[in-house]
Amino acid sequence: MGLMIAVQFRLSREIERTVPVQRVQRLTEEVRAARQDRDRLQARVTGLRNELDDATTQAGLRPMKATLSGYRIEAGLVPVIGPGVEVTLSDSNAVLQPGQNPNLYVLHDEDVLRVLNELRAAGAEVLAINGERLLSTSEVRCIGPTILVNKAKRVAAPFVITAIGEPDTMINSLRMRGGVVDTLQQFWGIQVSIRKLTQVSIPAYKGSREFTHARPVGG
Amino acid sequence: MKKRYTIALVALVLGFMITLQFRTTNRAAEPVVPFDRANELAVELRALAKERAGLEAEANDLERKLSRTRLGYTQAEEILKAELHDAAVKAGMTAVEGPGVRVIITNTSERTAPGTIFTFRDEDLLKLVNELRAAGAEALSINGQRLISKSEIRLAGSFIIVNTQKITAPYEILAIGDSPALRSSLEISGGLVETLRDWGMNVTIEPRNKVVIPAYKGSLRYEFAKQAKEE
Repeated sequence: MGLMIAVQFRLSREIERTVPVQRVQRLTEEVRAARQDRDRLQARVTGLRNELDDATTQAGLRPMKATLSGYRIEAGLVPVIGPGVEVTLSDSNAVLQPGQNPNLYVLHDEDVLRVLNELRAAGAEVLAINGERLLSTSEVRCIGPTILVNKAKRVAAPFVITAIGEPDTMINSLRMRGGVVDTLQQFWGIQVSIRKLTQVSIPAYKGSREFTHARPVGG
Repeated sequence: MKKRYTIALVALVLGFMITLQFRTTNRAAEPVVPFDRANELAVELRALAKERAGLEAEANDLERKLSRTRLGYTQAEEILKAELHDAAVKAGMTAVEGPGVRVIITNTSERTAPGTIFTFRDEDLLKLVNELRAAGAEALSINGQRLISKSEIRLAGSFIIVNTQKITAPYEILAIGDSPALRSSLEISGGLVETLRDWGMNVTIEPRNKVVIPAYKGSLRYEFAKQAKEE
């Protein structure tokens, strides 16, 4: 009877922590529809920006437009193209010895942060992970087998970092002896592959960039 | 006689339990998913709703600007100026103010025992900034250097370089955002700041009603990246 009570108790607890599949199916459906809607709006905004550019071709406006283009790139408002590199990171394929901590052999936030930082130091102008544009506000969070960037955006392994900039400078900097890639590969067996690309294309940030707390000084 | 009652009672209880057990097991056999997954979806849905609202407002604003631009050169110039200002704010080219936190880190390497490796490193700063970003920081600076999307935080010799400029201790990190959220992201038990303090570093976190963060001082000229027309 004691055994039965125990089983009963554990089962009930298990049930409390789960949600019926129907509800999740409905949620998944809603998320898909919302994503489509978001992408449609995004395309409309991009289209309107292009139209605005086409409507302001007067010669006198050219210098202002050149500045505007740079600001828009930094702000992630427009998609960009250019030469660069593609860095793919995946968990270690090292065979663990009994007693070794498997946690040391999977990718951590810090590893991704260090690779990104190295690319920035080597002059990367625009960066993305699995097609998610990285902004001044973007964080990188490893949660289990996925990475969370730009708050609610989840990307799954393998993690592909794309960077626009001088390809050789970025590659040399990553491959430096004792550098980031060296450490990741030698110590932890993290798999890193680097490809030089003549054209990388990085999408605009998906979403709006309105601040809720920050406002321009004196504006 | 008494014995018979006891047996009946036990049988009754047992019967009741078996029924209950059967019913719960049956319920458990229905397809279910862990609560976390549903929660994740709910969070994503909320984020998407916010994004859509923002994009909708942006599209309406652009439409208004577009129709005004078509009125003539003066209007076009005026609209372009407004667009430029808007993009400048989002790109970190203007100083911004708002509520947030001020984090001060004093390098106490002189006080740590000789031979220890626990001095403040670029990586600690990188992680600290990442925590603040995850907690929703909208603007950040380190010792007066505004952090933008391509800002590096990197050790070079005995200095840390940010935006190609040398910075030295004490490090002052300013962040604009929801100050309780920013603060708790750092002070969470077992979190980064606790670890830094364990290593003998002096970290103070001050919530502020108003933080002023300077503009990015470099230029935003791109040598390699070009604006693309389509995704």
